[in-house]
Amino acid sequence: MSFGITRSLGKEWDMAINIHVHTTHRQFTNGLQVVAVEGTTVGECLNQLVKQFPGMEKALFAKKDKLLNTIEIYVNHASAYPNELIKPVKDGDEIHLITMLAGG
Amino acid sequence: MLTPSEMERYDRQIMIKEIGEEGQKKLKKSRVVIAGAGGLGSPVALYLTAAGIGMIRMIDHDQVALSNLNRQILHWEEDIGKRKVDSARAKLRNLNSAVEIEAISEIITERNISQLVEGFDVIVDAMDNLPTRYILNRCAIMKRIPFFHGAVNGFEGRVMTILPGETACLRCMHRGPAPEEKFPVIGVAPAVIGSIQATEVIKYLLGIGKLLTNRLLIYDGLQVTFNEFTVHRNPECDHCGCPLV
Repeated sequence: MSFGITRSLGKEWDMAINIHVHTTHRQFTNGLQVVAVEGTTVGECLNQLVKQFPGMEKALFAKKDKLLNTIEIYVNHASAYPNELIKPVKDGDEIHLITMLAGG
Repeated sequence: MLTPSEMERYDRQIMIKEIGEEGQKKLKKSRVVIAGAGGLGSPVALYLTAAGIGMIRMIDHDQVALSNLNRQILHWEEDIGKRKVDSARAKLRNLNSAVEIEAISEIITERNISQLVEGFDVIVDAMDNLPTRYILNRCAIMKRIPFFHGAVNGFEGRVMTILPGETACLRCMHRGPAPEEKFPVIGVAPAVIGSIQATEVIKYLLGIGKLLTNRLLIYDGLQVTFNEFTVHRNPECDHCGCPLV
């Protein structure tokens, strides 16, 4: 099964910020791998994601503005930790939402 | 000095110009701790034993259970109920009797870890839980022993190599502890990740190639993708940040 679908904001790709959704979270995004949002910080972008897909709130946040310990955020393939939510982003940036793994 | 038998056994890898006879001698002199004799520990131990590492210490307190056998390929049906380290040592000795395999059946704790890794060249993270990974990470940093991280879940896995005092550590990218829970996994995921960990160990011991330092490699077996992410050393990291290191 392929979930190679991206939701756009109706804008050109380079005029939005693409959030790459982790496999385990795609159940909350109707199977979408990538969701296009707007914002100037990672936090604003995640708020937009949650507005579009409310199920993502519990998947990402322990409480308001507090990410779950298991969530890792990368902006343009670089770790945004710590203080991820206030990290600035601009159009064309890529945000990856990754879940920490602990199995072995 | 390599014996004629060793020259024959390792012929194909000695042919690799980055290894050669000198590299093979380095592997023979090397001492590796593998923390965990399960899904990751199995491929790591098998490939390092096959490659001719001089001495391997395997640490795991658990016994073999039927539910381990889908992924922990060092353990077979006949081993159910045995200590994992004993089961592992028996297989590894049969694979390469020249490699010294030491089996330690202990729970890794803050109190015993320093002694468990004393005198070893590298530590391989083949654990199945985060708290013990943090114990290993912190100890590796304090003792300046390179640490080779791996973890899996489902069809996914990740690898990162940590050179204490030089590169980002496990805590530099983690916000904090996570709840311990039974994790889903199929054997091919730790097979891929463990093989990459073993490759990193061999490269480090030989001083060749480019290590996965400050680089988190994430493998998605369902999509068959490898994604690489940069991880920065966090100056305020409570394991490796100033003034600790």
